[in-house]
Amino acid sequence: MSRWIAALTLALLSATPGLAQDANPSPPPVLTQESARHLMDRVVDGFIRPGYRGFAGKSGELTTAMANLCATPSVETQASARKAFAAAATAWGTIEIVRVGPVLDKNRFERILFYPDRKGTGLRQVQALLAQPDESATSPEGLRDKSVAMQGLGALEFVLYGAGAEVLTGERNSFRCRYGLAVAGSVERVANELVAVWDDPAGVQKDWKNPGPDSATFRTGNEAITEALGILVHAAEAVRDQRIESFYKGESNNTFPKQALFWRSGLTFPMLVANLQGIHGLLDTSGFRDLLNEDQRSVVSSIDFVLKQLVRVGGGVNADVEVAVSDPKERQKLDFLLLNSRDLILRLNDNLGGGLGLGAGFSFADGD
Amino acid sequence: MVRTGAIDRRQFLRAAGIGFVAALSPQKLYALERSEAVYASGFRAPDGTYGIATASIRGEVIDRILLPARAHGLAYCPVSGRGVAFARRPGTFAMIFDPAGRQEPVVIHTPEGRHYYGHGHFSPDGRLLYASENDFDGNRGMIGLYDATDGFRRIGEFEAQGIGTHDMTVSDDGRFLVIANGGIETHPDFGRTKLNLDHMQPSLVLLDAKTGSVVQRHTLPDNLSQLSTRHLDIDANGRIWFACQYEGPRQDLPPLAGSFAPGEDLRFLSLPEETTVRLANYVGAIAINRRDRLVGLTSPKGGTAVILNADTGAVLAEETVPDAAGVSAAPDGIAVTSYDGTLAGTRSRLAWDQHLVRLA
Repeated sequence: MSRWIAALTLALLSATPGLAQDANPSPPPVLTQESARHLMDRVVDGFIRPGYRGFAGKSGELTTAMANLCATPSVETQASARKAFAAAATAWGTIEIVRVGPVLDKNRFERILFYPDRKGTGLRQVQALLAQPDESATSPEGLRDKSVAMQGLGALEFVLYGAGAEVLTGERNSFRCRYGLAVAGSVERVANELVAVWDDPAGVQKDWKNPGPDSATFRTGNEAITEALGILVHAAEAVRDQRIESFYKGESNNTFPKQALFWRSGLTFPMLVANLQGIHGLLDTSGFRDLLNEDQRSVVSSIDFVLKQLVRVGGGVNADVEVAVSDPKERQKLDFLLLNSRDLILRLNDNLGGGLGLGAGFSFADGD
Repeated sequence: MVRTGAIDRRQFLRAAGIGFVAALSPQKLYALERSEAVYASGFRAPDGTYGIATASIRGEVIDRILLPARAHGLAYCPVSGRGVAFARRPGTFAMIFDPAGRQEPVVIHTPEGRHYYGHGHFSPDGRLLYASENDFDGNRGMIGLYDATDGFRRIGEFEAQGIGTHDMTVSDDGRFLVIANGGIETHPDFGRTKLNLDHMQPSLVLLDAKTGSVVQRHTLPDNLSQLSTRHLDIDANGRIWFACQYEGPRQDLPPLAGSFAPGEDLRFLSLPEETTVRLANYVGAIAINRRDRLVGLTSPKGGTAVILNADTGAVLAEETVPDAAGVSAAPDGIAVTSYDGTLAGTRSRLAWDQHLVRLA
């Protein structure tokens, strides 16, 4: 028995830093249950729910615009539909940064936007459908059981901007338009589902806002705060990985402009900016700054500055991705975006994460 | 899995060579001379660089190798004396290293369309290295086979018979590959996002190590379909222990570990409720001390390390370890690392990563 005790004693010693080789630079703040609740209130009511509501509203307008286009095809109604598409897509871009929670259930995320799609699966399926019309694809209900790549904004972008889109201005209730209307309806339905799920006072919002033994999502305040930080870190990683590096990996690498999201509609950079604005919105609304020690709060100001620069430069890149990757001046902007998006990740992961007590940064502590 | 003994210090010094010892600082040499066993783990340095480091029994860093990105799981081959560290998913490299410094490290990569899941194991005779891999476009777990006698050339692969393959190991006699399919779909295009939490398919699988054919495949009951079976070790009796991470409602108290043997059904461990709560429904690593018949579990999310009796499953000890990361058999008991750099009473400047392996 004594050997067992010795073994366990040694084992438990593993946890105790007795012979420190390095001093801990500064003690992390004490994150109370109250501060977690306050943060999560703001995350849910100040960002997530308004974000989904905004997206649902814009997707409803998109459905209306598509219905008008189908009923009254013209250059004007097509322009309105395209404008409504851009508004819905960028509204999604803002709330898209939330890659956790109910949006991951029932493939909602992919139903709204199936991207990246390196092999062009969605494009091939949409092209095949348009070549051989299938009436079951002209209602949101009919679309539901089809490939998710045919149900979302990526498919609708091709309908509105892809080869053959001129039919939209000439033929009343064309198959292409009715399919596009069904896609808009499908997106709107998923958006409304998300609004309803998050608006239910006894549902996910209650779990998110009240971390503790009764929450189905967070047992402790720390778990909740870490999840909120994770949204920011993962969003910044997605900006770099999916919205920049998918077509541009730096000066000495090949470029793939047609892998860029929404290159046909010129919305590649507006979507990038929408993501960044989402990160900015969540960071500001949630009040992460208030959780940090006084001497650490400049971390948030620095992140704020980087985000503003990214939004400024991202908003000024030539909408034609072919030009953006080939014109030296435009490439400089892409290099800036690449460099600073990496910096943004580091600042969120290391500086904000470290300031909240995750010594080695957020990503380091997310297990596996 | 081959039973390993403590490393012989003189053997280590002899094998390492004068040059290696001379390169050590006096402090490091002191640590090395006093070491009775050596561990290895991935790390993140204060400057943000990643690598793998060896450490003494006292947790003092002995040596380190830089890597281009984070490492995750490690394995050690007592026959060749080499270790391997796998890139964290969705990474595509693995580094085979010689902790004694006799041979240059070898870096291998997954083929097109695959990435490592972060774990692997050597065959008992040291001739093969197995690695858990993702065929991401096919959404199926794979086991890559690498020839350790020929520069770790990839010589084939087996289907892991599941998705979200994570840890894998090999039975002591080398007949079976033991595979933990976590059941979670991921794709490198979507980073580390878990794509199917509402329809997970966890499973535990034994494959015939020669042919890759299925010997046993255990799926989980419907009420545990969100219990991701992720990490493995084998005890002195050849029982396979598995540790889990639960993706279901947070207030549930699912079983977080269990065991089975060839020819047997899964047996879930019934931990006390307060232990399950402390583990935060998330066991990040498991290790067995065969000599002392102990099972160690760590939970970074719960900040807890738990030691169980391998014969009865009874909880012998629980300790609060903030950011508990790796766990390994120690010469006596169980060793635990943490993200803040602690191991065996020493806090180093290196943040230890999720897994700790015993070298010899």
